[in-house]
Amino acid sequence: MDEMTNRAGTVLLVDDDHDILRLLSAWLSNAGYTPRVVSSGAEALTQLSIARPDVVITDLCMEGMDGMALLTQVQALYPLLPVIMLSGQAQISDAVKATHLGTAAFLTKPPQKEQVLSEVEAQVAIARNRQIESGVFGATIIHRSARIRELLEEAELLAAGDISIFISGDTGTGKEILARAIHGASPRREQAFIGVNCGAIPEQLLESELFGHEKGAFTGANSRHEGLFLAAHGGTLFLDEIGDMPLSLQVKLLRVLQDLEVRPVGATKGIAVDVRIISATHHDLESLVKAGEFREDLYYRLHVVPIRLPGLAERREDIPVLLEHFLGKYAEKTGTRLKRFATEATDYLLSTAWPGNVRQLVNVVEQCATLTKGEVISLVMAQRALRGEPGRLQTLKDARDSFEKNYLIGVLRVAHGNVATAARIAGRNRTEFYKLLELHRIEAAQFRADSR
Amino acid sequence: MNDTTIPVAIDPDLKDLIPGFLANRRRDVESLRSLLLQRDYVAIRLIGHSMKGAGGGYGFDPITDYGDRIEKAALEGTDEVILAATAELADYLERVRPVFANPANE
Repeated sequence: MDEMTNRAGTVLLVDDDHDILRLLSAWLSNAGYTPRVVSSGAEALTQLSIARPDVVITDLCMEGMDGMALLTQVQALYPLLPVIMLSGQAQISDAVKATHLGTAAFLTKPPQKEQVLSEVEAQVAIARNRQIESGVFGATIIHRSARIRELLEEAELLAAGDISIFISGDTGTGKEILARAIHGASPRREQAFIGVNCGAIPEQLLESELFGHEKGAFTGANSRHEGLFLAAHGGTLFLDEIGDMPLSLQVKLLRVLQDLEVRPVGATKGIAVDVRIISATHHDLESLVKAGEFREDLYYRLHVVPIRLPGLAERREDIPVLLEHFLGKYAEKTGTRLKRFATEATDYLLSTAWPGNVRQLVNVVEQCATLTKGEVISLVMAQRALRGEPGRLQTLKDARDSFEKNYLIGVLRVAHGNVATAARIAGRNRTEFYKLLELHRIEAAQFRADSR
Repeated sequence: MNDTTIPVAIDPDLKDLIPGFLANRRRDVESLRSLLLQRDYVAIRLIGHSMKGAGGGYGFDPITDYGDRIEKAALEGTDEVILAATAELADYLERVRPVFANPANE
């Protein structure tokens, strides 16, 4: 793959007609693109995380998963990835449905060269502009995985608006960092970002913390307190662990969001307030609603746009860059020499469970860096730092298969497609590793040139 | 049957693909004749559909037209139309001569 090809972009072609695949491949190759071809929707889904295409072109009518079903899946997994639909039947109903589902373009067969290249060029240009614009935003969360990149691209688009955003994710996944990044990329960035952990403040104090109080409103209220809503006026209020907010306060919060005014404790009149709300929780808020522990009306008020931050085990390819980043930060903070993990230690950290996510990784890095005298952090040190962590339960076959596939992809990406290295990380011999790749239809060669 | 050749201007980018594409269509002719004897209209329709979708893209518009006719005839089960379109396709494949030239040079 030469530089020219890299610059032009990668296009995933999906069709069960090999004459069409060859035709489109020839056109795209000659125009400088890198075509990747698959003959089914299922193969396309596997290739998405491997090839990381800039555009997908899919046939509409295929055996098994058809183009519409593939489009739906792509929209769910990679909402910003453009999908161009090709159809042998120029049915208006199909075009309408595909457009409704979010297709970037609907073209009929036989395909026309200029039309195909023009659509691909337009979609790649849109995607590239978005990547350039999101460069600064993307740097707020250290990553190299396509999954986080897509998530950040979507979050940045949302930042420009003013709607309420709800961030879910396990402890340590970076919910507050993302909330701050959204605020920083929003038109409110010159105003305050105020964060409050609703689960960390006693119920009786939370009301006056959020809404403020008048002097003498209650015993001990010796002076007037503005409250976090008013402090965040014009800016963003981040309500962390919203799932832990007591029901009695939920109704008061709902009233503020509906009326756009707060009434401090002891006050007789409300005060108009303009804040954007970003809320977050590690709980399953829907379950709390069903259990009657969270108000449904407040849930819908806050849950306008949901974003789920994946756990570290779901984005393993980010682990090496995170280790490097936090070792650098540690060296900078302590004024010490930059350390690095031994290859075996990195391999071990790549395969561990990480129930505490990035926050746990930061702790492990700092502990290892503090306790290692030399430049290289050993496997034993890494194991010691992680000792006592519970393993990841994977008992169902489907869960195991899914994990295995994602794991193989992650390991191959880390190993830049070198099967010997990947097999060593995975603790398998090369023959076994090749069998696993074949089982999951993964080609190691694709990772050698694809180290974007 | 007419012996005159049919020159068709083809995109030079596709030069390497054309022999394979035309060979596949010759195989389609054989398959269509065989499938017609078996009255396998589903398989006939799929071949017609595929030819319709690819022919014009490669620069062979008549192949798209034959494919369209074959696909429709298979849906209706009209053997004589399938037979006639297949014969015309076979004749076209005998006589077509790709000429590789950029549109600007034609």
